[in-house]
Amino acid sequence: MEQTRRHEGVILTTPLVAFLLLFLGFPALVNLYYSVSNVGFETLRAPVLSGLGNYLAVFGDAGFWRANWFSLRFGIFTALAECGIGLFLAIFLAPLLAKRSWLMAPLMLPLMVAPAMVGLMYRLVLHEFAGPIPYYLYEWFRWTPAFLDVNSAFWTLAVVETLQWTPFAFLLFYMAYQAVPDDVRQAAALDGANGWQALWTIELPLMMPTIVIAFFVRFIDGFRVFDNVYTLTGSGPGGSTTSLSIYIYEAFFKQGAIGKAVAASVVLFVASFALLWGLNWVANRRRRA
Amino acid sequence: MLILKRTALSLTALAGALMLSTATMAQVTVLGWPGGSEETALRAAVEAYNGQEGVADADKVELLFFNRDGFYDKLQADMAAGSDAFDINLIATYSIGRYAPYMEPVDLGEAAVSTYGESILSTMQFDGQQYGVPTDLSAHFMYYRKDLIEALLADDAAKAKYAEIAQKHLGKTLEPKDPDGWTWEDWAATALYFTQSINPDSPVRYGTVLQLKNLLFNMMVFQSLPRSYGGDWRDASGAVTVDSEAYRTALELYKTLYDAGTTPRDSLSYEYAETNAAFGAGQAATALQWNAAAGELTDPEKSPAVAGNVGIVAPPAGPAARADHIHGLGLGLNKNAKNKEGAIKFLQWLATEDAALTYARAGGSPALAPAVVAKVAEERPDLVQLGEFASAYGYVMNGGTSANALSIYELQAKEFTAYWSGQQDLDTTLANTKAGMEELLK
Amino acid sequence: MIIKALRWFVLVVAVLAMNFPVIATFVTSIKSARELSINPGLWIDQPTFDNYARALEVTDRLNIFGYLFNSLVAATIGTTLAILLSFPAAFAIARGDFGRRLLLPVVVNLRAVPLIIFAIPLYMMFQWMGLLDTQLGLGLILTIVNIPLALVILVNAISDTPIELDEAAKMDGAGTWQIMLGIIRPVVRPALVTTFIFGFITAWNEFLFGLMLTTNKAVPMTVGASFFFSASGGGIQWGMASAVMIVGALPPMLIGLLMYRQIFGSMTAGAVKG
Repeated sequence: MEQTRRHEGVILTTPLVAFLLLFLGFPALVNLYYSVSNVGFETLRAPVLSGLGNYLAVFGDAGFWRANWFSLRFGIFTALAECGIGLFLAIFLAPLLAKRSWLMAPLMLPLMVAPAMVGLMYRLVLHEFAGPIPYYLYEWFRWTPAFLDVNSAFWTLAVVETLQWTPFAFLLFYMAYQAVPDDVRQAAALDGANGWQALWTIELPLMMPTIVIAFFVRFIDGFRVFDNVYTLTGSGPGGSTTSLSIYIYEAFFKQGAIGKAVAASVVLFVASFALLWGLNWVANRRRRA
Repeated sequence: MLILKRTALSLTALAGALMLSTATMAQVTVLGWPGGSEETALRAAVEAYNGQEGVADADKVELLFFNRDGFYDKLQADMAAGSDAFDINLIATYSIGRYAPYMEPVDLGEAAVSTYGESILSTMQFDGQQYGVPTDLSAHFMYYRKDLIEALLADDAAKAKYAEIAQKHLGKTLEPKDPDGWTWEDWAATALYFTQSINPDSPVRYGTVLQLKNLLFNMMVFQSLPRSYGGDWRDASGAVTVDSEAYRTALELYKTLYDAGTTPRDSLSYEYAETNAAFGAGQAATALQWNAAAGELTDPEKSPAVAGNVGIVAPPAGPAARADHIHGLGLGLNKNAKNKEGAIKFLQWLATEDAALTYARAGGSPALAPAVVAKVAEERPDLVQLGEFASAYGYVMNGGTSANALSIYELQAKEFTAYWSGQQDLDTTLANTKAGMEELLK
Repeated sequence: MIIKALRWFVLVVAVLAMNFPVIATFVTSIKSARELSINPGLWIDQPTFDNYARALEVTDRLNIFGYLFNSLVAATIGTTLAILLSFPAAFAIARGDFGRRLLLPVVVNLRAVPLIIFAIPLYMMFQWMGLLDTQLGLGLILTIVNIPLALVILVNAISDTPIELDEAAKMDGAGTWQIMLGIIRPVVRPALVTTFIFGFITAWNEFLFGLMLTTNKAVPMTVGASFFFSASGGGIQWGMASAVMIVGALPPMLIGLLMYRQIFGSMTAGAVKG
C-alpha cells in the first residue's frame, strides 16, 4: 500500500516538479554561481569565481539591513491592517452580502488593478496641485499635509497597499465565515450565546486557520513589495523607501553589482526557507500533540 | 470539465495568436525613447527618410520603443544578452562609456560638423570616437513668472520686504533684479519672498519647485549650482573633488530652501512631471527645469494658468561662472546589428542639415550650428535659446561620460537626498559620495 | 435598524476608499487637457471622451488592442498551466501527505522571494530557447508566479474536503485518478475558480517581467500602458495615460464582476451533510 501510494505521489507531483526545476532550478544554480563570483554588466557571460566576498559586502551594507527593516515593518503593518479591517468588514457586512451578493463585486474591484498602475495613479492623486486629495483637504480644512516626505512616506505607502489588498483578506475571511456550519451556529444560539459570544468563542476559533494563512500571505506580499512603492516613490530620499526587493533590483540594474544582488537574494531565500521550515515543524508538532 | 474547457480555450487562443501575429519585415530597426518630443520628431525624420528615392526596401527604417521607466535597465539587459532585435539604439552622453563595448563607432561625414558643430558632436564622443548623432540636446532653463517679477520690481514696499527676508534667511540684504542677471542667491531670495509661509502677502504659495526625488536625472538639474561656484567631479589631476566648498555651499543652499518651505514638502518625490504640474498650476514663482518643458508650459491649451506669463532664462550665475548642464541624446550603432550598412546609411543621413531641420520642425530639440538654427528660428524660437545657452554656458563634468557615470549620478542622488531630507549630515554625505565616486572612477 | 444603516454606511465608505485611485483616474481620463491643469477636483466642468478616442486609435506605435490580446493570452497560459500542474500535486500533498515536508514549503517559499533575482538567467535562457518577446514565454513566467498561490489554495481546499468522500468512493471501487478528478475536483470547484480568478488577475497585472522579457510583439497591457507615461524629459499626458489605465484595468475588473458568483455559488457544506 505504501509503495503504490508513494508511486502515485511521484506521478502526481512530477509535472510540477519538472517545471520548477527547469524554470527555477537552472536560474537558481546560475545565481548561486554568480553569488560567489565577480561579475558585472560587462562580464555577464563570464563570471569569475571569487569566494564569499559578495556575502561579506551584503552583510556589511547598512542599506541591506535598512531595506530588511523597511520590508519587515511594511509587511507586519500592512498584514495586520489588512487582516484587521478585512475581518471587520467580513463579519460586519456579512448580513448585507448574504442577501445581495452582487455587493461583493465593488469590494473586490481594488484587487483587479495592477499595483504598478495604482502607484502611478497615486502620484496624480496625491500631488499637491494636480490631485484631488490635497485639493479637497485644502478646500475643506485648509490643510496641506505632506504625503511623501521623509516622515510620512512609509505610512502613505502602507495605506496605499492596505487599501488595495484588504479585499484579499476580506474575501478569505468572508468565505471562512460563511463556511462555519449552520448547525454549529444553531447550537450556540440554543445554548443562549448572544452574537458577541458566538463570535468570540465559536466562530473566530473556527476561522483561525484562515486568519493565520491570510496574515501570513499578506505579510509575505508586504515584505517583498515592489511595484507600487517603486512607481510611487522609487527608492525614496536617501533610500528611505527601499524595500528589500527594490534593494535587490537596484543592486542589479543601477549599481551593476550583480554578485551582491544575487548574494542578497540567496540570503533572503535561505532565511525565509529556514523560517518556514521552523514554522512547519512547530505546526506539525502541535498537530501530533 | 472546467479545466479541460479552459485548456481548449487557451490552446485555441494560442493558435489564434500565432496566426494573427504579423511577421516583421527585416529592415533597419531603430530603438528610440517613447512618449516625448523625441518620439514624434524621430517618426517625422524616419518618414522623410523612407520616402526618399534610392532607399532600398531592405534598408527602410522601422521604429521600436519600450518604456521610458526602466529604459536603461532594459537596454542593459538586452545588450548584455547580445540582442540583435535592433540595429540602432538611443544613447545619451552619460551612458556612452557604459554601452560603448556593445556599440560600434560611426563616421558621420562632413555634413555632421556643419550641422551641429564640434562641441555638440563631442557630447556623443567617447574615447575619441564618434558613437552617434546628437539628435537632441537637453539643458536646463530657469522658468519664472514674468507677471510676479514685474510686480515685485515696481513695488517699493515689496522690495523692502524682499530685502528683509533675504537678510533674515540668507544673511545678506538683496534687491530684486531682472532674472537674467540673477545670482543663485538672488534666486534664493526670490524664492523665499514668494513663499506664503514666510511672506503672507505672496500671491503664490511657493517660491520655487525643487526636484528632490532620489533620481539620477535630478542630480543633473542640481549640479549647475555647484558648477557655477567652481565645483567639478574631478580636478585636472583626476582626484575626486565632490567635497569642495563649491559643493558644500550648493548643497546647503538647497537644504535651506527646502527647510524654509519654499518648495512643497513632497518635493522629495518630485521629478519632471510633478514640477510641471506645480508650476503649471500657477502656485510657484520659479522652477529650474528641463528645456523640454518649455513647449508645455507656454502653451495656453496645456497650462492655461501660467501660459503667457512664463519667462525663460539660463540658470543663474555663481561667483566662478554661469553654468548650464548639457547632455545629448542620440542614436548609435549596435554592434550586433543585423543590417549594419543600412543602419550606417540612415545615421549619416540623420546628421545632414535637411534631416536635422525635419527633426527640429517635428518637435525634436537638436542644438544646431547658428547658420542652421536660423532656418527654423520662426517655428522653434526655443531652439535658438537652447543653442545659445548650450554654447555659452554648457559644460560636461570631468568624468561625466565615463563608463560609470550613471552609477555616479545614482550615488549622488541617494546621498544628496539623504542630506536634504535631514537623514544625515553634510560631512557624512560628502564623505560617502567622495568614497563612492573614487571607487566608480577608478 | 440603526445597525443596518451603519452597515450600509461602512460598506459605502469602504468601497469608495478602496477604489479611490481608480475613481480618480477615471475622472481624470474624462477631463480635457485644459481642465487637467486648472481643476484637480473631482467635479468636472466639461467631460470629454477625447482621451479615450486617442487611446483607442490604433497607430503603429500604440496598439492598445494588441496589448490587450497579449495580456489575455499570456495570462490565460499562466493561470491554466499553473492549475494543471498544481492540482495533482496538491492532491498528493493533501491526501497522500507526499511532499508536505519538502515540496510544499519550497513552493510556498517562492512567494516570499522577489522573482526578479532570476531575471537575468531567465532572460539568457529565454533568448537561447527563442522564447523572448513571445506570449508563450511570458506565460511560462506567469505560471511560476501563480504556482505558489495555486498550490496553497488547492492544498487547503482539498484538506478541508472530508476524507469520507474519498473513502466512500474507494468502497465503490474508484482508483486514485478517479477520486481526484471525479470526486475531489467538483467539490473543490470554488477553490479552482478562485485560483483561476486570482491567478489570471495576478498574471494580467504583472509588470516587471513584462517589461524585461518583451520588447515589441508580446508587450502586455501593463507595460503598454506605461508607454503613455513618460518621465524625465518627456511630457506626461495624465489624461490619455489615465484613459489607457482604465482600459487596461477593465478586463480583469469585468472578469471579477462576472465570476464572483462562482466563488460563492457552491460551498462544500452541502456535500457532507447527506
